[in-house]
Formats: sequence, structure tokens, C-alpha cells
Amino acid sequence: MATVFKTFLNNDIKSTRTLLHEAIPLTGALASGTYGTFPNGGNIKNYAHGMFQSVYDYPYLSSSANHIYDLTVGISNDSALSASTTVQQAKKINMYNQMAAVLMGYDSSGNVIKFDRDGDLAGTTTDKMDDAIFINFARLLQKDEIKKGSFSLKLGAHSVYSAPMESLLTITDAGANTSYKVNSAAGEYGILSCSLGGAYSGSAGSGSVGLVFYQAGIAVLSSSVFQGIGVENGVLGSDAVYLSDGASTTLTGALTGTSISGCADALRHRIYDMSFNNTTELNSTIHFCRLNNTDFNYSANPSYLSQSEIRVKNNQLDAPVSYMTTVGLYSADNELLAVAKVSEPLKKDPTNEMVVRVRLDY
Amino acid sequence: MAFLDNSGDIILDAVLTDTGRYRLAKGDGSFKIVKFALGDDEINYALYNKNHSSGSAYYDLEILQTPVLEAFTNNTSTMNSKLLSIPRTNLLYLPIMKINNQAINNTSLTNANNNGYIVCTTDTTFNSRNNAIDGVWNGQDPSANTNHIRIDQGIDNTALGWRFDLDQDLLETQYIVEIDSRLGTIVDTYNTTQQVSFIDDDNIASYYFSQAASPTVVQSIKSSDTLGYQNVTANTTTLPGGLTIAGPQGTALLLKIQSTLEIITSDYLFTTIGNTFSDAGTWGFDTSGGETYSYIDTNVKITGATTGYSLSIPIRFVKQNA
Repeated sequence: MATVFKTFLNNDIKSTRTLLHEAIPLTGALASGTYGTFPNGGNIKNYAHGMFQSVYDYPYLSSSANHIYDLTVGISNDSALSASTTVQQAKKINMYNQMAAVLMGYDSSGNVIKFDRDGDLAGTTTDKMDDAIFINFARLLQKDEIKKGSFSLKLGAHSVYSAPMESLLTITDAGANTSYKVNSAAGEYGILSCSLGGAYSGSAGSGSVGLVFYQAGIAVLSSSVFQGIGVENGVLGSDAVYLSDGASTTLTGALTGTSISGCADALRHRIYDMSFNNTTELNSTIHFCRLNNTDFNYSANPSYLSQSEIRVKNNQLDAPVSYMTTVGLYSADNELLAVAKVSEPLKKDPTNEMVVRVRLDY
Repeated sequence: MAFLDNSGDIILDAVLTDTGRYRLAKGDGSFKIVKFALGDDEINYALYNKNHSSGSAYYDLEILQTPVLEAFTNNTSTMNSKLLSIPRTNLLYLPIMKINNQAINNTSLTNANNNGYIVCTTDTTFNSRNNAIDGVWNGQDPSANTNHIRIDQGIDNTALGWRFDLDQDLLETQYIVEIDSRLGTIVDTYNTTQQVSFIDDDNIASYYFSQAASPTVVQSIKSSDTLGYQNVTANTTTLPGGLTIAGPQGTALLLKIQSTLEIITSDYLFTTIGNTFSDAGTWGFDTSGGETYSYIDTNVKITGATTGYSLSIPIRFVKQNA
């Protein structure tokens, strides 16, 4: 019986899962002046609602611009700053609650769980992050998740506003590839800690300064990263890290007296660079097309025959030959569902057998 | 010690066709890969040079240098010619499919203008034709005449006697007919509408016909009383009139095309994918009263489900303009 199809057997189709990683470097210059005079860059998008600020890799009015990340800040109801906040107080509280609800979830009493600096929700209550800065990475960069242990953020920590990068603070999730938390509502997260290396020479001790949610693609920085050690176990040695060019606008001043987009501007001013590896979970199905010696040695190509005589044979005893260029994968009702090509024609005759592995990625 | 040849294992990345994506999106389980086929669309076997002066190693040199195109994702644009599995290796001849243009009573003669067939979209158009033109029928009422498409299958070579039986493993008993579903549907020669199997995202309707399930559409040439073989006796030595395959006869596919309601009642497709008929008179349509006509050219693709051989038949849908 002549046939053009060969049915896959049970062991001819196998599924595999592969994790692909890409390095994503994000320079601070992109966020602070590449496409305009800081704080107004063509790649910085502010919204009428003022809830967050978006950073693009190119002026966002261009169709080739890609969304990179969003910046916003939030204040907990219980924060010492909430009462004294005069600008966008409700929005900052709403933003904190929204992010906490999505990322941390609710406790058994129905209350939003606050961000916890060490991830130990049942432990001490004095390590909650009441005021937070959020960096939400776009799905385009983050893909399925941020690779654990790959996140790095360098902040300019010098107290002089006009020269913030003269001392740098490196914030990473070092060690998270083997030690991370799973007690959140949004998947796994790691603890961001601060390095004392680099140009930083302050007197503060290193410590937990935030959380990074890998599947959600969101970094949550404690506001204390910009505050003195004496205030909330911060990591900068002084409370004089100005967040705007105002005479003495410290973090507290920014959070209470500046809009969310103003706080985002201030943060962009101090981002030296960011980097992480993203992860794409690739599920593949490999179809083993087994070409036995008696399979596919003839062709239905119109040029294969001349007056019904096979062109590639001189006589009956010659072996038939065919040349494959395409593999088609079919449904039971003969519909072509997927197709794969070889780079050059492959010769098939009764003297050879081969296995063509056709991979379909999802 | 040399390395082992590992070239027998090849990894290819596949892309989903438009139909594959459509079925995957439907999520109803219709996306299920159960079999594969190999294609050789780019290959021109006429380049196989059995007389190459440098010897047999050079016979297929030009074929092996054929550049291969990237994958088309349109399911109807690729895998047009497939490789064939036949356990026997001693075959020198393979069957083909051929339009039968010599049928008895002229009912399957093709039209000389397009070497295919003409479907008069409406009764009015059909009644405006010259009765003498061949390969034409009434798409609105296919019973108006007996003209039809006839495809014969068999080995078209006189090296094998035409009275030999075609080997069973080369006999085509199932056919796939593909037609633009916006233009026409398939009816048999008794004017019975046939069941469409699947319409893809490009509006291509596929019909599956087997000798067992559709005996009016797929018929054995040698067993039929009407296909030209019925008068063959033990003393007959020459190929009877009405047969077009020169060697062993296989099966015949007989069908007509009925116009869809869409093109009968609307001119939209004629203005978008059709054209105005500037030489309708030479095609046999009456223009003496200033009548004008529009037409749409398309192809009906017929593929043998067993042997994979395929044939495209030109079809012209003609409609008299109001």
C-alpha cells in the first residue's frame, strides 16, 4: 500500500521544558537624560492620574519605543508619614495597599499584609516596610520571571544632589538562587540586601532593603534605603541624601510633599544602573520522525515522473531515490498543523534510515 | 580513530501553520499531531542527470544544490508534493492523475480557452452561452446539462499494457478535493451536493471522497459501465475511446461545481477578486445585445490521498452583468 503519511507511535512524541535566560542591563542614563533634559525626557511618560511614571527605551511617541519599567511609591496607612503627607496622600496609600494586596496578599483577618523586610511574616512586626518604592518591570523584559540571584540595582548615594554617583550603593538579591521566600500571594520573592562595597564608605551596616518578586517582576525598595541608620535601620549613613534639588528635600520630604511622579523623578536621578537575567520557560514537544529504509523513497512530485516513468531510475532494479526539503506535521483529518524545513535537500533511498527530530516550541 | 557519523539525527524547528494556530486557539482538542509527511516542493527531478559524464555520484549534484525556502505558514501553500512510501523498490512506473478530455458524449471535455472548465454562475449566464462550447455547465442548476470534471488515474505509459490491472498498492481509492468555499461547492454527476469535511481559515474547503463512501464520485474505470471500458472484450487491442490513461487504468473522479449563493446573488467577489470579461465572445458567450460578463479564475486542487499525486484544475466562474 502506497502512503504519504506515517503515524507517530507513543514513544515518538516527547515533551521537554527548558529555561532560557537573557541578561537585561538597564543603564541609569536611559532613565535620566538620554532623551531630553532631566527630569523631562521623551522616554519618560507621566500620566494625568499621576499614579506612576513609565520609562521607555526610546521616546514613547515613537512606534519603535519599548516599555521598560514603571516607578511609583506608596505609603502604608500605619506609616508615620501618612498623616503628614500633603501631596497625593490617598493615592500613595492606595498604591501601597494595591501593591501589598497583590504581592503579599491578605492575612486571616482580611487585612492586607505589609511588606516584610526579612520575609518572616510571623516574626517581629518592627521590620515592616511602611513606605516603599516600587519598580515594576515590563513583561517584555522580564518574560516569565526574573532569574533568582541575578538582580542588581546600583543607586547613587552621595549626599550632594548634583553629584549623586560619587558614591554608589549596590543592592542585590545575592544568594536568592538557593534561598528565597514562597509565602507571598505573587509567587517567589527574594530579599534585597545592600552591599558596602564599591564607592560607598558610609558607616551604616548592610541589611535588608527590600524585596524582589520574581514572577511578578517587581522590586520593592524600602524607603529606608535613603534614610539614616538611626531612623529605620537604613543603609545610608546619613539622612542627607537629597531626593530633589530643593534645599533639604530628603526622602521624608519627598514622600510627604512631592507627587508620585516627583518621587519617581528623584529616584531616576539616583539610578546608576540595573540589571537582571530574565527567564523564559520554553515547553517543547519533540516529534521523532523515524524514516525507515522502506519509507519515503518515492515522490509524488510532478517532476518525479515523465510519462509515469520514474526519472531517477534507469531500470526496475535501480533503487528509488527522493529528496526531502520539508517535514509536515498533520492532524488525524489530514490538516497541516506545523511545518519544518531542512537547510538543504536530504537524500532518501532504501539504503539509509534517519530520525528527524522536529521540535515545536510553546 | 575517526568520529562516528552522527548525521543521521537531524533537529528541525517547526512553525505552526495558520490552521495549526487556529486550532490551538480554539482549544477544543482539534490541535493534535498524529502523523507526519515529507515534502519536496522545491525539487525538480528533471535535474537528475542519469547521463552525467563524471559518473553516478554526480547524477543528483544539481538537485542537492537546490536552495530551500523558509517555511510557509499558509497550510495550503506548502507540502504540495509529498514523498511516498512503497515497500517495493522495483517500481519503474508510478500512476498519475490526468484530466480526461476525451470522454464519451463529450461530457468531460475541457474548455479550449483555459484547459479547464467554465462554471456559469447563474441561469442567465448559462443561457447566454454558445451551445457549442465545451467544458461548461450551469453553476446555479448543475442538472441543466451533463458536463462534468473527470480525472483518470493510472500509469500513463504504453510500456505497460492498458488492460493490465493496476497494482493494488498503487490504486487510488481516496481523493481530497480543495476549492474556494466562497465560490463553489462540489456536487456529483447526479447533482447531489457533497459533504464538506473542513473549511480552513483561507476559505479553502476540503472534501474527502473514497470509493467506498462516495461511489458516484470515485469509480473504478475498469468496473464501470459508463467510463469507456465497458465495451472492452477479450479481443480488444487498442485503447478504447474515452480513456486517457495509456497504461493500466485505476480509478476516475467525477464531479461538478455548484455556484454558491454568495456569487449567485452578489457581485461583490467578482469586483474584488474577479475581472471584467473583455473577450467573452471568443469564449462562447453572447455579446450581440451588448451583454457584458465578469469572471473569477480559480483552481480546484485534487490530491490522491494514497499516492499523494495532485493536480490543479483551472476553473473560471462567469457571470453576466446586470
